[in-house]
Amino acid sequence: MSTSAEAAHEHWPPQSFEDLIGTTRFDVHERAHITVDDTVCRGCPSRECIVACPAKLFVPTSDGGILFNYEQCFECGTCYLVCNREGAITWSYPEGGHGVVFKRS
Amino acid sequence: MKLTVCWKWVTVDGGEPDDRWAGVSPADEAALETALTVAAADDEVVVVSAGPPGAVAALRRALAAGATRAVRIDTDGAASRDVATAVAAIAAGSDYVLCGDYSLDRGTGSVPAFLAADLGAAQALGLVSVDVTRRPVRVVRRLDGGRREVLDVPAPAVLSVEGSVARLRRASLAASLASNSAPVDVVGGPPRSEQVAVVTAYRPRARSLPAPAGGTLTRVRDILDIGGEPVHSESVTLDPPAAARRIVDQLRDWGHLPA
Amino acid sequence: MPDPDVDVVVVGAGPAGAAAATVLARAGHSVILLERGPFAGSKNMYGGVVYPRILDQLHPQWWEDAPVQRWITRRSTMVLTDDQALTVDFRSERWGRPPFNGATAYRPDWDHWLAAKAQADGATLVCSTTATGLLREGGQVVGVTTDRPDGDLRAHVVIACDGVNSFLAKEAGMYGEVDAANYTVGVKETIALPKDVIDARFGVRGREGQDIEILGGTGGVNGGAFVYTNLDTLAVGCVLKLPKLSAQALRPEEIIDGLKRHPAIRPLVEDGEVKEYSAHVIPEAGLSMMPQMTGDGMLVAGDAAAMCLAAGIWLEGVNFAMASGMYAGEAAVEALAAGDASAAGLAGYERRLRDTFVLRDHRKLRRAPELVLSDRVQHLYPEMIANTVERMFRVDNPAPKPGLRRIFSDERRRAGVTLRDLARDALDGLRSFG
Repeated sequence: MSTSAEAAHEHWPPQSFEDLIGTTRFDVHERAHITVDDTVCRGCPSRECIVACPAKLFVPTSDGGILFNYEQCFECGTCYLVCNREGAITWSYPEGGHGVVFKRS
Repeated sequence: MKLTVCWKWVTVDGGEPDDRWAGVSPADEAALETALTVAAADDEVVVVSAGPPGAVAALRRALAAGATRAVRIDTDGAASRDVATAVAAIAAGSDYVLCGDYSLDRGTGSVPAFLAADLGAAQALGLVSVDVTRRPVRVVRRLDGGRREVLDVPAPAVLSVEGSVARLRRASLAASLASNSAPVDVVGGPPRSEQVAVVTAYRPRARSLPAPAGGTLTRVRDILDIGGEPVHSESVTLDPPAAARRIVDQLRDWGHLPA
Repeated sequence: MPDPDVDVVVVGAGPAGAAAATVLARAGHSVILLERGPFAGSKNMYGGVVYPRILDQLHPQWWEDAPVQRWITRRSTMVLTDDQALTVDFRSERWGRPPFNGATAYRPDWDHWLAAKAQADGATLVCSTTATGLLREGGQVVGVTTDRPDGDLRAHVVIACDGVNSFLAKEAGMYGEVDAANYTVGVKETIALPKDVIDARFGVRGREGQDIEILGGTGGVNGGAFVYTNLDTLAVGCVLKLPKLSAQALRPEEIIDGLKRHPAIRPLVEDGEVKEYSAHVIPEAGLSMMPQMTGDGMLVAGDAAAMCLAAGIWLEGVNFAMASGMYAGEAAVEALAAGDASAAGLAGYERRLRDTFVLRDHRKLRRAPELVLSDRVQHLYPEMIANTVERMFRVDNPAPKPGLRRIFSDERRRAGVTLRDLARDALDGLRSFG
């Protein structure tokens, strides 16, 4: 029983996040529309953004900071909503015509 | 002075000819920006695109950015030889014709070459910078091996610029509003070519492989798949026809072409 | 005050903005519809089902050219535990013919279509243009600034349909404190499968489609999940409550992955190829989070006004957006006719919202979002219900069948649900849904 379940699992390997986000179109602007004040993040106990951001844009660094990307951003607003430290994440929309372009959403 | 900019309007992922899923390459946009920078106030900047009616949206964006006239050659899937002839009729009399060095579909780049031939103009490809303050314009070409070539290109010339040369200026709000109803000239175009083959590159999916065993050198070779016989290079100096034959023979030797 | 460039600026060419622009253009007013994406709908994402009957007024026979994927003729509600699934399944042929009920559609198609209708009626759509702020004189909003050169745009009325993050409504001070507890994030994968495979797996034909709403299946995070059928893709995703999202240390895409591997879901979705991954924040809390909707020279509609109805068995948004946009447009027409764009002149907006389903539904269902996302409904009831049904249908011979009341009482206790809590939730549910 367990072997057949394992065999079935074999046929459906987990999808890498890079492949997943690679399916979405982003017309990236050269200027970042997100900025993170890393010094604020160093004191943040929860770091909700790391888990919550659906685009996985926030990555913890070994020295307690946060590394962020803005390129493959859904522009959803989850990060600043879950951010419990006032002002750590500054977020606006990218310049008109840039950023995410959905097709089958 | 007359400047002509050629835009290739391409459907992004093989879908419907709809501007939502189509556009022009950053290199094409850089070509327009270069033309707008070159142009003096009373110069004419014509943007031309050979494509279906959906291309009008892109041409209007060009008008909003500052092009003086936009022309659509009404065609869809014509051979580049025929497209070049149609574009040449519009570009005739231009001092410079500016093209993007690549299109969104990474086509063959044959239209600018045909165009230069038709116009009796010089051609410079792979431009990484264009100094518009000089006459003739001074350009820097990208060569193989990281080298550069500096050329003074007298008019008339067809110049193909890379996307990094310039970023297309942002149209003002008033210009964007006006471009909504701006006229785009339409001229008849060549028929669809049955010989146009659409080939897309095969992109292999990531796959999991067992961890390589052995020493560092063996593992590197395994990963890079260079375990087989080394290929020796040779240098020969030949005239162009003989060089072409030599390349074809070699490819056949290696099994890349049918014997 | 200088002459405005245009009668009305509508910010955001989503369903609310397009509806507002249509109403205004038809009344003969000059209206500019600003869209920050390269085309209307390019930034928009939702679960996947729209209920377009409100368009009967604005675009009669809308179904003749609406970019619909499938008509929902099969509506299912599923309760998932780790290894159980209970589905209530309803189907009606009537929903597959005019005037229809729900439909799946892609937002880049739907919103583009609606905006094109506004353009056809005379509205001017300007894409790739982000409204960056409000122009104000005294207390009166007199236009917006945009991110284009010379981008100020003056108008008698600004209608902010700029989505859930509505920076304009916030700038105008129409929102109180923004609380993450009022929001969920929706994430989904659009998964391609051949049409005949979808037809066979979901038991539908032609343009018929199924809508499966799921309680559970979100990896212990409070929220819900869904599977919708498009023509040749499936929309598979979940809606996750923001404040508790990180508690399980599961990322959104991992939660979808878990959902896809659930024994009840996997046979529906496997072998499909992911075509797009998308996400969007949802204003979940309904009436309790709605901003002030009317200001001097300004109205707020759609998600910007927290119009989404997230009431568990009813999950609607686009219809509320279209309706609120339409009513905002009508109120602006009134105000322009009276030459009074103050909040008093624009008061027709909220009157219309109060008198129609928009605020009536929201008022009636004001307790529902909290109830549906409560810990008991999320974590205790699915087990309790599924285990009750499992024991009901389990043949435990030689043990005799226990009575249903006995089973339910056992399972309620086993799930740790007190009678008092159950009674309270049932009463809340009745008050909301009854």
